[in-house]
Amino acid sequence: MLNVEAIRKDFPFLKEGRVYLDSTASSLTPDPVIQRMIEYYHDYRANVGRGIYRASQRATDEFEAARERIARFIGAGRDELILLRNSTEALNLIANGVQFKRGDRVVLTIQEHHSNFVIWQRAKERFGLDLRIVNSDRQGFFNLSDFEAAIDGKTRLVSIAHVSNVLGVRLPVKEVAKLAHEQGSLVAVDGAQSVPHTRVDVGDLGCDFFAFSGHKMCGPTGAGGLFIRGDLQERVAPLCVGGGTIEDVGIDYYRLRRGPYKYEAGTPAIAESIGLGAAADYLSSIGMQNISDHEHALTRRMMDRLPEVPGLNIYGPPNAGDRAGIFSFNVQGMNSHDVALALDSAAGIMVRSGHHCALPLMKELLGVAEGSVRASVYLYNTLSEVDLFVDTLSEIAKTIA
Amino acid sequence: MNSIFEAYSKFPRADCGYCGNPSCITALRRYCSGEMPLDKCLFFRTGAFDPGLIHYPAARDSPSKPGISYINPCPSDAKMVTVEVSLASGMHAKHGYYDMISLDRIFGRFIPSLKVSPSLGIARIEHDGRAIMAFKEGRMLIRRALGEEDAFMQLSRAMRQLWAAVN
Ligand SMILES: Cc1ncc(COP(=O)(O)O)c(C=O)c1O
Ligand code: SF4
Repeated sequence: MLNVEAIRKDFPFLKEGRVYLDSTASSLTPDPVIQRMIEYYHDYRANVGRGIYRASQRATDEFEAARERIARFIGAGRDELILLRNSTEALNLIANGVQFKRGDRVVLTIQEHHSNFVIWQRAKERFGLDLRIVNSDRQGFFNLSDFEAAIDGKTRLVSIAHVSNVLGVRLPVKEVAKLAHEQGSLVAVDGAQSVPHTRVDVGDLGCDFFAFSGHKMCGPTGAGGLFIRGDLQERVAPLCVGGGTIEDVGIDYYRLRRGPYKYEAGTPAIAESIGLGAAADYLSSIGMQNISDHEHALTRRMMDRLPEVPGLNIYGPPNAGDRAGIFSFNVQGMNSHDVALALDSAAGIMVRSGHHCALPLMKELLGVAEGSVRASVYLYNTLSEVDLFVDTLSEIAKTIA
Repeated sequence: MNSIFEAYSKFPRADCGYCGNPSCITALRRYCSGEMPLDKCLFFRTGAFDPGLIHYPAARDSPSKPGISYINPCPSDAKMVTVEVSLASGMHAKHGYYDMISLDRIFGRFIPSLKVSPSLGIARIEHDGRAIMAFKEGRMLIRRALGEEDAFMQLSRAMRQLWAAVN
């Protein structure tokens, strides 16, 4: 069990009159995480990996300790975790780092976020990739045989989301990874929406790459990570090179370092990475299972009560058990932005509206090119916030839709 | 956490007029601004309703300063210009800028495209795919305007429709 009231006290943003239901876009940051970053600025504000003086040593130690914490959080080895800005940068690294040949096949799904979609469209233009998109049904469920058909011997990479940021559905990552490996393909997982909410173990998933964002898991903005399986790093080129990435440089040669450093060009986001390490600790101390259970209770309440709202179209799986705490919907006769504005104005409820950076899904699968409203819950949300949200939404639907 | 809607839902909503107000919403407004004790209402006085549950709705974070601003909430919807105008002034701090009850009761019925929610404090006008929302604190939003000029056209039109509800 998790003590929501105690947890809420850790989040300075949660003041009276604010109901934050947009954690899918970015989560809030608790005080213990902010304090760790302030500590860096106050006590050992120095660059990492270069200085010999004590503050720089401490900065290096704390930065590397953060790497270790974050790596452990997703079941990776410390040398397998590259500290980057966010999922988008991590996915770009994959698209540019894997040495593709013309005609190589890359398989995605219709549910991908633009960050795992546009990069492959550009890679197609650049390297002549054969891009395949696997469709799901309208509720978000896939047929494994569609993956079987799409993944062939020429498939170099399968890149799929772990949890859809629109439908809240969990993708069959483990099964797809198995299929892909049988065909000799690599597997990349966009874990932006899974790491914050459930226990993730990259070894258990069986993926070769795993990208995630710190700002969605109680960390600060500007810190995220990419897992690259250790033995694969030889064959994956960095996105940027320069200071920090090299072992030796001469007039006419350079040699890259080994391990995560090869991918971390320039001065990293030191404070933010330390903050992300603290966020991993924060979530672990509460317990990922407790967080999932709490979110599930909120999800059940939401799915029980949402049908009360007249004229509501809710997307994704109808069963609370099949979904993460993400709820996309439309109120009949009202644009999604108007609904979001009304929720904010009437009750201080913050939700997202629009396309959620997943236009292919919105247009092709849901047929709602004009967008949808999306509410999402996290560890600091309460049942009474869910109730207030549903009550206010009902009132909106009854009076101004 | 109490929204004005939540407070309203705990009112008798009989609109009986016993307290001297034309409706429960007016009574709620006057109660919220400290001008009417709840026991003026017969339902509360007789204990048929529990006033203990009602709190003054939390003040909004930051009342928008008077002025005009452009927002573009979704970069993939480039056609859309959203204009936000704040007409609020200190004078309206207590009751808000628009009186949504009068708007609903008196003017709502003459403007078919106007929808008013006194409980939420929001009025909405939609036509030609454009939407205008007016909030009781004096904020107005023109969504999906074709450009600045169009936004001003929409705005002045809406202000003319809503003028009589200004407090
Ligand atoms: C599934 C998914 N992938 C990728 C991203 C991109 O994350 P970021 O903006 O942190 O790079 C998001 C964020 O919305 C997401 O939900
Ligand atoms: S007396 Fe009570 S029920 Fe009657 S109008 Fe006033 S508040 Fe409403």
